[in-house]
Amino acid sequence: VIAFLSLIIAVVPEFTVSYRRVETRDHVALALYRYQRPGGTSERPPVLLIPELGFSRAAYDFEGRGLARWLAARGLTVYVAELRGQGKSGPGLSLEAFGADLRDVLDALKVETIDLVVHGWAGSVVLASNAAEPRIRRVVALNTPLFAEPPSVLAEAFLEDGGRFSSLAGSPQGAQIFELLFSMFSKFPRGTDRGFLSTGTRDLSRPVAAQLLAWMRQGDLPLGNDSVVARLTDWTKPTLLLAGLADGFASPEQCAVWRELAHGSVRLRTFSRVETQEDFSHLSMLLGTHAPGIVFPLVYDFFGEEP
Amino acid sequence: MKSLVLVFLVLLGGCANLRVVPLPRDAERYRPRTGDGWELSLVRYRAVGPVTGRPVLLCHGISANERNMDLDENHSMARWFASKGREAWTMSVRATGDSDRPDPSKGRTLPIRFDQYWQHDLPTAIEHVRKVSGADSIDFVGHSMGGMMAYAYLSQGGQGLHAVATLGSPTRLDWGTGLEKFIRTLGPKLVSDDVLFPSEFGAQLTAPFQTLFDDGPFERFFYNPQSTLPETWQRFIAVGSSDTAGGVARQLLTLVETGRFASADGLLDFRADMARIRTPVLVVAAKLDRVALTPSVKDGYRALGGPKRWLLITRANGALGEYGHMDLIIGERAPDEVFRPVLDFFTQHELPRTH
Repeated sequence: VIAFLSLIIAVVPEFTVSYRRVETRDHVALALYRYQRPGGTSERPPVLLIPELGFSRAAYDFEGRGLARWLAARGLTVYVAELRGQGKSGPGLSLEAFGADLRDVLDALKVETIDLVVHGWAGSVVLASNAAEPRIRRVVALNTPLFAEPPSVLAEAFLEDGGRFSSLAGSPQGAQIFELLFSMFSKFPRGTDRGFLSTGTRDLSRPVAAQLLAWMRQGDLPLGNDSVVARLTDWTKPTLLLAGLADGFASPEQCAVWRELAHGSVRLRTFSRVETQEDFSHLSMLLGTHAPGIVFPLVYDFFGEEP
Repeated sequence: MKSLVLVFLVLLGGCANLRVVPLPRDAERYRPRTGDGWELSLVRYRAVGPVTGRPVLLCHGISANERNMDLDENHSMARWFASKGREAWTMSVRATGDSDRPDPSKGRTLPIRFDQYWQHDLPTAIEHVRKVSGADSIDFVGHSMGGMMAYAYLSQGGQGLHAVATLGSPTRLDWGTGLEKFIRTLGPKLVSDDVLFPSEFGAQLTAPFQTLFDDGPFERFFYNPQSTLPETWQRFIAVGSSDTAGGVARQLLTLVETGRFASADGLLDFRADMARIRTPVLVVAAKLDRVALTPSVKDGYRALGGPKRWLLITRANGALGEYGHMDLIIGERAPDEVFRPVLDFFTQHELPRTH
């Protein structure tokens, strides 16, 4: 009997992960993944996860670990969308178009409400571009900047080179640059950070790298008639903002100020190793050893709160 | 038995690091008196070689003293500035270092509050340095609470400072960490206005043990071994610590409780008034400062209304190691990575100001 049960457990998948293609209004193909536990799901709204610029679905599901499976294991229906320029989606040539992709994803999902997890600079663009989107219920923003700061020397060099993750993966020096920007002072399951650099990233397009660099240098990104700062200043959705002290790409001082300007809708949680086991860097917030024990429960609990 | 011998030897080695290095022979001691009757300890380090600019006054943070700025010949902001042609002065605020201790019989009573530091101690030190040196105005470096003193002083119209550098100086400490809940809950119960917490004794007591554990609580909180050798930290904790005034701790609790940077009576909002500051300020933050998290330091930078510059010390900006809170003043490479940019900032503002 034990052998039979073991066989059943081994054979029956913990999740179903399905893939579909979503075509945007301007005919760019986006990749959309769904994680669902067999045998029913929670009554909570589904959760949509958006990776950082240059990151792919692997930021939320790397070698079977990550926030996507963690949330799905607790009964939530989870989607990961790769917007243009990410993962297996079509090319992304502008941040404005990147931000507008969310609407097409929501249309394709045909949901009335959804909870959103966003990460880094991609999060700022997506939220600012969809500030008036009524289908978004609650948001968890991970290392998501409001006021862009002049980039560090390394970030500037990386973006001036076109944001080519592939160039970092090929050398020890490149790996060190990746570490300082994305995974500094962090603990990962063995091989995760290097493995993610090799297989979980995709080079930014030259125009997007240039746009991101200009955004950092100028402190704001123009969007239509206003800007990221203007739109996020008027932000009203209930939001949990998580900021890691060791983030070298979207540093916490750029993120935390959002709370002051969002008129009470943004709750801030920062981390430092004095209190937790981890300062949390850009990547370890998602794939670090301590993320499932510290970060993920905060995400789950926040989405479960009553309005 | 062998273990005991080993522990004894380790402690002996630790104690060897605790020897107090005397001040240099040519350091001059002064004791100006504040308007409310406290003598402060000031130490003057004359410029070596040709004078290149104004005197620089250096001020420590909370639970600390003047030796923060001159620990020994290899870890001394004071001697470094002097070697670059800048007369340097260190100071100890009341009830720290060699400054007067509370003595009710002489009218020096508790509570001591942060307000007394910026209303009495800092102006007294500034005036004394100006008087002795003959300078019309001086430059100032404040570490942690020392920088906050400058913010408060300047925000209320304080004069005599030409350019200022703050190192790891927060203007709010409510960032949603779990530690804050602990401080909010227990802080008001544990902290009393009328006591002087024996943090100096505690530091000296624990100093021999502080290098026994890798990644211990002091290391996590205060310094990064990438930048400060454990032996340096051990010596620092033994000679650079002072008792903590309960009234000061209580006043600064509001930074955690409400995020306000304000006078003890709540009437003065320093952060709001910092918009009036026109003195040039260099705001220096350490990437892995777990006392004054970078957002809390940046908050002060954003509040400043005059000429200002932001400097984040991190490997991504060229530093050879990450910095924590205390590494900014005692780090092994601080002279190149912190003091030098501060001096450059002061030098840049040496020209007569037009406003």
